[in-house]
Amino acid sequence: MLSATGIEVRYGDHLALRGIDFRARAGEVSAIVGPNGSGKTSLLGAITATVPYRGAVMLNGRDIAGQRPWELAAQRAVLPQAARLAFPFTVLEVVRLGLQAGTSGARDEVPMLALSRVGMTEHAGRSFQDLSGGEAQRVMLARVLAQVWAPVADGQPRWLLLDEPVASLDIAHQLQVMDLARDFARAGGGVVAVMHDLNLTALYSDAVTVLSRGRCLASGHPRDVMTDDTLSEAYGCSLRVSVPPAEGLPYILPQSAAQW
Amino acid sequence: MAELSGVVPPVRNRLGRARALHWGLALALLGCCFLSLQIGAADVSLTALLGKVARGEALGAMERIVLLEIRLPRLAMGAMVGAALAVSGAVMQGLFRNPLADPGIVGVASGAGLGAILAIVLGAMLPGWFLALAGNQLVPWAAFVGGWGTTLLLYRVSTRGGRTSVATMLLAGIALGALAGALSGILVYMADDQQLRDLTFWGLGSLAGASWAKVLAAGPLIAVALCVAMFLGRALNGLALGEATAHHIGIDVQRMKTVAILAVACATGAAVAVSGGIGFIGIVVPHLLRLASGPDHRMLLPNAALLGAALLILADVIARTIIAPGELPIGIVTAVLGAPIFLWILLRRRGFVEV
Ligand SMILES: Nc1ncnc2c1ncn2[C@@H]1O[C@H](COP(=O)(O)OP(=O)(O)OP(=O)(O)O)[C@@H](O)[C@H]1O
Ligand SMILES: [Mg+2]
Repeated sequence: MLSATGIEVRYGDHLALRGIDFRARAGEVSAIVGPNGSGKTSLLGAITATVPYRGAVMLNGRDIAGQRPWELAAQRAVLPQAARLAFPFTVLEVVRLGLQAGTSGARDEVPMLALSRVGMTEHAGRSFQDLSGGEAQRVMLARVLAQVWAPVADGQPRWLLLDEPVASLDIAHQLQVMDLARDFARAGGGVVAVMHDLNLTALYSDAVTVLSRGRCLASGHPRDVMTDDTLSEAYGCSLRVSVPPAEGLPYILPQSAAQW
Repeated sequence: MAELSGVVPPVRNRLGRARALHWGLALALLGCCFLSLQIGAADVSLTALLGKVARGEALGAMERIVLLEIRLPRLAMGAMVGAALAVSGAVMQGLFRNPLADPGIVGVASGAGLGAILAIVLGAMLPGWFLALAGNQLVPWAAFVGGWGTTLLLYRVSTRGGRTSVATMLLAGIALGALAGALSGILVYMADDQQLRDLTFWGLGSLAGASWAKVLAAGPLIAVALCVAMFLGRALNGLALGEATAHHIGIDVQRMKTVAILAVACATGAAVAVSGGIGFIGIVVPHLLRLASGPDHRMLLPNAALLGAALLILADVIARTIIAPGELPIGIVTAVLGAPIFLWILLRRRGFVEV
């Protein structure tokens, strides 16, 4: 269980988040959606102790505030919104960076396995800085995956916290990455993903939180949350949600923005 | 769990190459040490001495002094200073995530320079008992205190609420460097001819003043700082991904920054104090090693220590033999030899440097 209560994030005078309650369960993919600047990355920042925040964040029943970076790193891995890297490390070296110190033996193959999960094994020896944007993002995902390779460790779920994991991927790799996230959750781990693609969100998430202007607009099962009214209010444009009876999953169609 | 599927091309094992390089560099360092003891202005050589010892002959006083009191402390100081500058450079580059950073950036070099100039120009105004106490160690100590003072000031300026901003540190370092430069300029203006000569030589750097006293004063500081720095490899690797991600993979970023800055201030401060301003080593050595065996700091740091030491010892051998019995400031040798070699390497890489 990952729970954040009464979260407030402030950058100088700017109040980016206020009074947010967020909950994610192990075994599920929890999505965070909302327009640009609504505070999705800030919420992830609070959950990962990256930005200063008010409120309490509990990870697997323990407050993250008192924990050392390496204790947190053993429980959760974080994919940042933008990948950056100084110095010409190779792809495989980048993936290895996520491994905890002093691990060896059986885990030696984890980085290669992680690369194969994102379809990047052929590129293992290349310089990371030569990769295309989408390739770089997949390598970063492999790094994150390698860090928490086993979804459950010592009886506790581990967590993938992903900020826009499919942002610059082609459609096949979007599906591959979302499948990977779902597999991780089905195996007992927890996944929190910031998403912009509402259809993928509806397709893959078990719970959705909608943020708007630093507040939580709605949260719950995608079917209950992803409605015309909520989404149109959140994004400030007209969106039509349809739920075909066969699959029972909502899909979202934009309508002319001019109507609003 | 997933199996490895598809073609898996062989991946260059750069860490293995770096380890092999490590032993190669260790041998090269030994070779440079031998050279340094073997040749010099005086007609004394290590092989001849060893031969004498083997034949059971007594060593002359002159030979003993040249070897034990001149060449050996000089060798030790060259090794210390070279390793300190190269490792400090590598640590700073990792910390600032920029291959152009060098220890000068954290203000150690400019602060130490100001301290040294203060001591050279205004030292005579100090009370007599203090001068007697300091003896000829006044300049090194002033340099060390100056280097540390600037570093601590910079650290204070760039730390808010327990977090240090390396970007602020960079900017503040440039500002403090300019200030120290201006103050140094005023002092140079006030200096007399002899002091000007001292200043110039100090600025170019030299191991000529090497003595066991200096080795014993600077050695422990440098040794401790370098030992500490060797543990920063994994953290610096993580920092290449940015501070937030370094934290996410389990690195205590703030503690690492503090440790890195203190280690660099110690190592560079002590090195600059005993040898003056020797440039180039801090940037060139880590860069060459990155080209040769990749940017992994776990091997980059120890290799930088070895290569830095070897290169500085070699430069010193050249500095004191090329115009023997005279002697060039070693900073001139490192620049005159280092710059063209560095340019040649850059040219061969078609001037394109990945950073
Ligand atoms: N470091 C910062 N300093 C000042 N303001 C910030 C900072 N980071 C974010 N903000 C502001 O806080 C608000 C929320 O930003 P956040 O990055 O959480 O948005 P987001 O929902 O992730 O947006 P996007 O979809 O564009 O990634 C924005 O108005 C942004 O300008
Ligand atoms: Mg964001």
